[in-house]
Amino acid sequence: MELSFQLKNNGSELTTLHAILGKLEKRWCLSSKTTMELNLILDELVTNIIEHGGCDNECVIDIKLIKGNSEITLVVTDDGPPFDPTITPAPDISLPLEERGCGGLGIHLVRKFSDGCMYKRTKNRNVLTLIKKIPKEHR
Amino acid sequence: MKTEISQENDATIFTLSGRLDSHTAPQFEKQVQDYLTSPENHLVLNFNNLEYISSAGLRIILNTAKAYKPTEYQFITCSMQDHVLEVFEISGLDTFITICRTLDDSLVALKDEE
Repeated sequence: MELSFQLKNNGSELTTLHAILGKLEKRWCLSSKTTMELNLILDELVTNIIEHGGCDNECVIDIKLIKGNSEITLVVTDDGPPFDPTITPAPDISLPLEERGCGGLGIHLVRKFSDGCMYKRTKNRNVLTLIKKIPKEHR
Repeated sequence: MKTEISQENDATIFTLSGRLDSHTAPQFEKQVQDYLTSPENHLVLNFNNLEYISSAGLRIILNTAKAYKPTEYQFITCSMQDHVLEVFEISGLDTFITICRTLDDSLVALKDEE
């Protein structure tokens, strides 16, 4: 099973994303926890593209979800400048409050809630592929 | 996202409902900003009806905790849904932010401080 859709580089598209995933939860019989985690992963990636993607004009983010037997593959493609979130340094979450910065938290959440990711730059586009395992009881 | 602000003894309570993401965060940040520049009260964030939080929301919570740290007032969060709590824990914010199970628990915690 596959689903492809596009979002624009606009914050209000997060509402669209939430609505699309809500329908997908029913169609693919996902648990609300898995849907919520997929939502968070895509939210953080889309937000990153909106805030740091260098698109002053409207640009399009392509999102594709593919459901296998035990996992969901997510492919996020955008036209922004090269950005590989798989190699950005992880924030030190053991630091005390005074020393904690806000940077890198979004990508940290993406890594923690996904089970693998791969980046490539193809035809001037960022292509990020992530794997999200489906818990056994919901396969 | 919706925010209701109420007062209980010497604590200001923000009751959040809906989704706190990068789209709704600026509105919440604006509302909480007045309380951060010169805290005059304890602050409780009640997450009972908050369904969802992303790093954009965590950033505001982190800045709130930083603003309250040097003051004589307490900053407490309460009533987190499981997913919201998990996001807090994975980000390590639970190590320095007080998370109470219920609003009543947080009001008791504030009383005990006095």
